[in-house]
Amino acid sequence: MIDICDLKTYYSTGFLHRTEIRAVDGVSFRIEKGETLGLVGESGCGKTTLGRSLLRLIEPTGGRVLFDGTDIMALSRKDLRRFRPRMQMIFQDAYASLNPRMRVCESIAEPLRIHGLEDRAGIDRRMRDLIERVGLNEEHLNRRPYELSGGQNQRVALARVLALEPDFIVADEPTSGLDVSVQAQILTLFRDLGREYHTACLYISHDLGVVRAMSDRVAVMLKGRVVEIGPTTDVLDHPCHSYTRRLVAASTGGEGFARPAPCPASLRLPAMIEVRSGHWVEATAR
Amino acid sequence: MTTDEPLLRVRGLKVGFPTSDGLVKASDAIDLTIRTGETLALLGETGSGKTVLGMAILRLLQPNTRIEGEILYRGRDLLSLPEREMQKVRGREIAVVLQNSGTSFNPVLRVGDQIAEAITLHRGLKGPDAEAAAVDLLDRVRIADPARMAREYPHRFSGGMRERALIALALACNPSFLIADEPTRGLDAVTRREILSLFSEINRDRSVLFITHDIEAAATLAARVAVMYAGEIVEIGPVDAVLSSPVHPYTRGLLGSLPERGMRPIPGSAPSLIAPPAGCRFSPRCTFAVGRCEKEHPGLVEVGPGHYARCMLYD
Amino acid sequence: MRSFGVTPHARSSIRVWRWVTVSGHNVALYLSLGVILVYCAIALFAPVIAPFDPFAMSGSPLAPPDATHLLGTNDLAQDIFSRLIWGTRATLILGFLGAAVSVVMDTIIGIVAGYYGGRVDEAVMRFVDVMMTIPAFPLLLVVTIFFRPGIYVTAVIMGLFGGLNGVRIIRSQVLTLAVSDFVVGTKALGAGDGYIMGRHILPNILPLVGVKFVTSAQHFMLVGIGLGFLGIGDQNLVDWGQMIERASQNGGIILGLWWWLIPPGLAVTVISLALAWFAYAWEERINPRFQVMRV
Repeated sequence: MIDICDLKTYYSTGFLHRTEIRAVDGVSFRIEKGETLGLVGESGCGKTTLGRSLLRLIEPTGGRVLFDGTDIMALSRKDLRRFRPRMQMIFQDAYASLNPRMRVCESIAEPLRIHGLEDRAGIDRRMRDLIERVGLNEEHLNRRPYELSGGQNQRVALARVLALEPDFIVADEPTSGLDVSVQAQILTLFRDLGREYHTACLYISHDLGVVRAMSDRVAVMLKGRVVEIGPTTDVLDHPCHSYTRRLVAASTGGEGFARPAPCPASLRLPAMIEVRSGHWVEATAR
Repeated sequence: MTTDEPLLRVRGLKVGFPTSDGLVKASDAIDLTIRTGETLALLGETGSGKTVLGMAILRLLQPNTRIEGEILYRGRDLLSLPEREMQKVRGREIAVVLQNSGTSFNPVLRVGDQIAEAITLHRGLKGPDAEAAAVDLLDRVRIADPARMAREYPHRFSGGMRERALIALALACNPSFLIADEPTRGLDAVTRREILSLFSEINRDRSVLFITHDIEAAATLAARVAVMYAGEIVEIGPVDAVLSSPVHPYTRGLLGSLPERGMRPIPGSAPSLIAPPAGCRFSPRCTFAVGRCEKEHPGLVEVGPGHYARCMLYD
Repeated sequence: MRSFGVTPHARSSIRVWRWVTVSGHNVALYLSLGVILVYCAIALFAPVIAPFDPFAMSGSPLAPPDATHLLGTNDLAQDIFSRLIWGTRATLILGFLGAAVSVVMDTIIGIVAGYYGGRVDEAVMRFVDVMMTIPAFPLLLVVTIFFRPGIYVTAVIMGLFGGLNGVRIIRSQVLTLAVSDFVVGTKALGAGDGYIMGRHILPNILPLVGVKFVTSAQHFMLVGIGLGFLGIGDQNLVDWGQMIERASQNGGIILGLWWWLIPPGLAVTVISLALAWFAYAWEERINPRFQVMRV
């Protein structure tokens, strides 16, 4: 459904001394319809930039993103805008992702109004339906973001995004600032809705426990490149790349992973080697 | 003072904030003791009142806060000390590692200078001596190239490094009692692990109140843990007992909502601290609640050696 | 759980209307607002309030205040009180119209520069920098002397020339907003740039714009008085600056005719203070509205 080919996003900074920062340095993978791919890595590895580049919220420097056959990178601005309802994003800070001056009902109705999808009565109906689906009730409709908790705001953000019934959602650490019990609520909601709407999802997180619970496959990112990718349990239980092993060890206190199956020797760079069925590792430094 | 006498004893602490909507009862009749050399983890979520408790000990709350009760440190009631005496306690005897927000350091001053400031204030060292001591502290918290980093400004420090610098600031005067407020919030897994290992080293020499939402941090560092909900302590006891065989339904729900343990959410949301539920404050969300729970307010009951829970089911 | 606004407990407060509660910490706001509204009312109802036609000779010249002429008369036997009242119009028009033009300009430029960033921002800001080096007041003098425009045109010109200093403040706020998650999110929804600028960015900078409006108004009123004092203002309207100038030239000071000299100066000072005070009080209010207390 989503096919990413050699995506690159480079930033150049500095006035006299132009240095190039390769935030995303040639990333390729696929996500099938209804599948959730987790994306993990340390802060600064480029996963947030990747998420935004995918949706062209940041303009990438090169590469292609094929969405159901259409190359998003080649679309004109106008065509891109009409394409947008199909691919959406959930942000880390729910409070920041809502206009502080707009009430909840206005925030949720906005996507419908922008694309002229429904008339007033229709919008009203959809809004009430959505608010119930995300676990809030009608009294929340007239509130503003600062009157709601982090978890409630994230539900509103979710309702807003679901209004357009997207085929693909990029979730950028949606629960990292939330308490554990609220996180459990939001993630369960997310998973249930994802299954119901059959959405493909890129779930970005630094928390391996959450990724394990939420994703079918996981990709590990380091310095702008994907170094390992495969089914979640496989990658997390039998990590091959040295960086993945470090990550897994850090999150499980060193008792985590089982002894990895022997990984084949490196051949040429930067190719990916298929270690097991569906489980790929970058061929260099293991 | 014998070593049996607890270093810190909190008795009947109540903290309230007057707001335009009414009095926010952030803490309600808290009793707590911490012994010398012991690390107590204060576990809770947003709205539980844990941060307020930590700040109340050092009297760092706003002037219009209403505080009742006693906070006995080495036998002296901190709440009744005049401000000048309290200033001598802060930093030197009791230090706090504040939450790592963007404004935890003054952005226009070098980090080394800010740490040296604390040293000058309490240890009387001046100028180059203070600076050298600051560099020494940065080294102790395992910041690479401490001499150079001391001369840098806060924005050059990553989140993990800022956290370490905050710890260095707190350690400046080698306090006997340390309050750490959510030191691992917002850090990624690798950095978090490093900070926790740093803490396990520095906690050895002092008593620590470790305020956190991070269950694993509590499990790794603390000897005892107190779980807070809606301004009260709902369970307290040895860390193994509380985290492996939790008694209070909230603690059980909290542990059950961890992704590793099944991610079963607790229904409902945290109650208002202005008008908390009558009876047991957790009863509206509790799967085991019976009629009694909504009417009577439970006290702490002993459910094991040194292990107490605030629940009607065990009364 | 909400974030709590932990504010000092308001002790004594009076509820004036449904929306207005005056208490210790916002008395400045409402008092200054009251003064401003009184001035506006005076300007609006001048024909009704003023006892005499401001240009008519209605008594004996240089007469001290009495029952009919509350502030006496000037050298042309015109009633000073009526002139004071009518003079409100000129001052307020210059102030508010000039401020309006200036603020609209600043806002549009600030939003466009801040939202698009990059090269657009650079080009616009260089242009603004050049414009700001042009000395506004001398230019204004030259234009008004040569073309003798009416008061409305003068106000517009004042706004155009003198008004670009608010752009930077607005632009920097817009720069922050443009990268905030909710703007990016709305872009992700497929909204167009114009929609975002109008529906999301503008409402969030309105408080800032409002404050700028008030301070600009104050500034332009004073400039207007200055023009009047120099005799350059519109001669068909009564202007306080003119009044002060005439009073001081024609023996007001020497003869100790306080009722001629002081009222216009006092009137300007009061409105100027009221505007400044209001801007100050309002700015305090729009700053972090809620101090969030973490519990």
